[in-house]
Amino acid sequence: MAKRVVKLTFLKELVKEPLTFQMAKKYNIMPNIRRAKVTETIGELVLELEGKEQDLDNGIEFLKKAGVIVESVVGNVIE
Amino acid sequence: MGYVLGLKCRECGREYPKEVLFVCEYCFGSLEVDYDYRAIKKELTKEALAGRPKTMWRYKELLPLDEEPTVGLDSGFTPLIRANNLARALGVEELYIKDDSVNHPTLSFKDRVVSVAISKSKEFGFDTVACASTGNLANSVAAQAASCGLKAYIFIPADLESGKVVSSLIYNPNLIGIEGNYDEVNRLCSEIASRYRWAFVNINIRPYYAEGSKSMGYEIAEQLNWKLPKHIVVPSAGGSLITKIYKSFKELEKLDFIDKVDTKVYCAQGLGCAPIVTAIKEKSDIIRPLKPKTIAKSLAIGNPADGYYALDSVRRSGGWGEEASDEEIIEAIKLLAKTEGIFTETAGGVTLGAAKKLIEQKIIPRDEPIVLCITGNGLKTQEAVVKALPGLIKIKPSLASFEEHIKNNLHQRISEEKVIEYYI
Repeated sequence: MAKRVVKLTFLKELVKEPLTFQMAKKYNIMPNIRRAKVTETIGELVLELEGKEQDLDNGIEFLKKAGVIVESVVGNVIE
Repeated sequence: MGYVLGLKCRECGREYPKEVLFVCEYCFGSLEVDYDYRAIKKELTKEALAGRPKTMWRYKELLPLDEEPTVGLDSGFTPLIRANNLARALGVEELYIKDDSVNHPTLSFKDRVVSVAISKSKEFGFDTVACASTGNLANSVAAQAASCGLKAYIFIPADLESGKVVSSLIYNPNLIGIEGNYDEVNRLCSEIASRYRWAFVNINIRPYYAEGSKSMGYEIAEQLNWKLPKHIVVPSAGGSLITKIYKSFKELEKLDFIDKVDTKVYCAQGLGCAPIVTAIKEKSDIIRPLKPKTIAKSLAIGNPADGYYALDSVRRSGGWGEEASDEEIIEAIKLLAKTEGIFTETAGGVTLGAAKKLIEQKIIPRDEPIVLCITGNGLKTQEAVVKALPGLIKIKPSLASFEEHIKNNLHQRISEEKVIEYYI
């Protein structure tokens, strides 16, 4: 099993959508929420995702396609 | 020496020992160095500074080493120039250039952070340092690792221009070109950093590395006789420099070196890679990652690691942000060279280009002191300006030919931009 740490940002129109749950169920990924801030206008989640490599790729792609901003937690490392 | 208490999570405040750690294991927030300011206040005084060498290490109590530095001993304390000619051109009264284009040893502000990172890596007992970079960081890591006998692994995108490869390769590091797009290079480097016991300066050494940027802020304050400017314009890529400069001012306030910080900090980015400036202008808390498209390659970071902290520093200071287009960057590089005799790289063009717009928009007032942070040297990015310069004037190797040229140009003064080549 592989692990990935990601930061998800849900803009206003997506805040009410259960996208994290849908991703977890559809791609058999275990999300572990480490930090979260959800207001009426924005949702931010820092998650550790655990699953098979391919499932993690597909799950992250699913979120991106749905309009979620997916970032690596450490940011870009090329300076 | 040694005034570091430990590391602290910037998000949840959890404390960690001063070890090779960079993210909070609970909330994945980034870690920052925590200092014993009460002890520093007793040791670091204006009187104590008077007798110290003019390098960044004169502020060693505020840098995260436990022992004396071992590399980059001559880094920092770059000139702060009163730029009267440029001030006239911009129509402002009091303007200064903090000129890190002449920083030692590799002509960019990165020498500050790398000096700290490699000295700290040696304290931790590493024998190999590494980084992922497209330019200035690679040069500095390669040079400084060479100077202290450490092995260096430097990762770059495989299609990087040859000029940039040479200025790292000359120091004989293990230079590895990765065949992949920017995101793939980023991801591979993160994986390598987690697998090998190397000091990856901007990943696992990042909390210490980033502290080196503060020295630029201390120097500006001291060079202005412990008075901060009203406005400071800083170029941003990952967002660390602007965050640390603001932090340095706050630390000086805490240590009673200066009165209350009343400086507005402005973030300058290239149009086409301005995620932080966009968030500032939209008054948004979201920094949207993007694919960079700017000639300012040294600022081309689409997902800035410290973007939120940069945003926070700008907002708390009452500052703002501005972008400079490719054309504005080139014009600004030429303007700085023409007025002050300083040849900066594209990042410096971004700083001046953005500052010019902020002044024209009256966001920065014309009658208050302004500092522009010039972070790198133009010799490194000559390809960006070469097409924007006039061609070479050629004459025969005779006085007659020269005078013919002078005559032909009698009514148009010899441009200061033209070079005359003599054939002997």
